[in-house]
Amino acid sequence: MAIINVGVREIHCKIVYYGPGMCGKTSNLQYIHSQVPREAKGDLLSIATETERTLFFDFLPLDLGKVRGFSTRFHLYTVPGQVLYERTRVAVLNGADGVVFVADSQRDKLQEDIKSLQELARNITRQNKKFSEFPIVLQYNKRDIPNALPVPVMDKYLNPLHWQRYDAVATTGVGVFDTLKAISKLVISKL
Amino acid sequence: MDPQLTSLIVPPEEVAHIDECLARLVDDTGGNYALLLDKSGQVIASNGDGNRQDTTALGALIAGSFASSQQIAKLLREKDFRMLLQQGVRENLFIALIEDQWILTIIFNKGTHIGLVKVLTKKATEELASVLERVRKQRQTRDEVLGSNFRTSMEDTIDLLFRD
Ligand SMILES: Nc1nc2c(ncn2[C@@H]2O[C@H](COP(=O)(O)OP(=O)(O)O)[C@@H](O)[C@H]2O)c(=O)[nH]1
Ligand SMILES: [Mg+2]
Repeated sequence: MAIINVGVREIHCKIVYYGPGMCGKTSNLQYIHSQVPREAKGDLLSIATETERTLFFDFLPLDLGKVRGFSTRFHLYTVPGQVLYERTRVAVLNGADGVVFVADSQRDKLQEDIKSLQELARNITRQNKKFSEFPIVLQYNKRDIPNALPVPVMDKYLNPLHWQRYDAVATTGVGVFDTLKAISKLVISKL
Repeated sequence: MDPQLTSLIVPPEEVAHIDECLARLVDDTGGNYALLLDKSGQVIASNGDGNRQDTTALGALIAGSFASSQQIAKLLREKDFRMLLQQGVRENLFIALIEDQWILTIIFNKGTHIGLVKVLTKKATEELASVLERVRKQRQTRDEVLGSNFRTSMEDTIDLLFRD
């Protein structure tokens, strides 16, 4: 739930990047962190294993400065994708205002994408929120890979609710900011 | 619209109550720092020694560890962990949940007795719970608070800042 703190004139929103292991969630945050001007970002905090897999979450605070007198902050999080860590994903998802679902476009990852999306639906519903009305933006990542699934096929399995959807190559930044802009605006529209 | 998606609007007079409550908790326990977080990890108010470097990251981590302790509770079929104590070499952290929505944290050192912290924190959580109840009930709309042009201004800022 977003917080509008009228006393200190601040607005806070929480956005979570969700998706199967290795789909590129951390890469999204790393790219955003590398491009956003210094005064608008905090440190990128990563709680990871020695092999750089996300263990708990990545966290990137963005500060949009004053808009109509209110300081506005977006907090971006990623969840660990490994199947085993569902409880941790539930913890990170707590209180989220919007979700970017990052799907892996590799042909042999579709099953994992579908499973992860079903799990997301379950976990949003458990927070007593309506999944069909929850702010979600889809990102089809790794479009640079030769065996990437055609977009219509991914749409068929992952986008029955017709969310906004962006093709991306998170490692080089393609589509990363389009995705971030879309989810930010969606969250703001629901404040 | 789904009521779960609307924001929590905290009016100035309630922010003042919260500040007062945190200040009293720090004072009465002789603690170093008190922090009120939303369960999403966002800092609502803080009080105490001002040179805590990264309150934002602290908020994210405390909320994360509290949420994960609640998942542990579920696995253990424990109804809930309402409170959490983290003991350090220099400082301790005591964390308490307020109505499943807010998280109160107090940081204190060896000079303060944990029993005192527990009692006074419990008192503070009751006070903050009634603040939260009033905040949840208040009926100001977003447009009344932010102005009707807020959304377009916000979208312009997003376009300006979120690009490579
Ligand atoms: N080819 C390609 N590799 C990517 C892309 N995005 C991420 N990767 C790689 O996929 C691996 C996992 O990425 P990471 O961001 O850690 O995934 P996470 O588990 O979702 O956080 C890393 O080796 C990345 O370099 C992409 O768009 N294209
Ligand atoms: Mg990761």
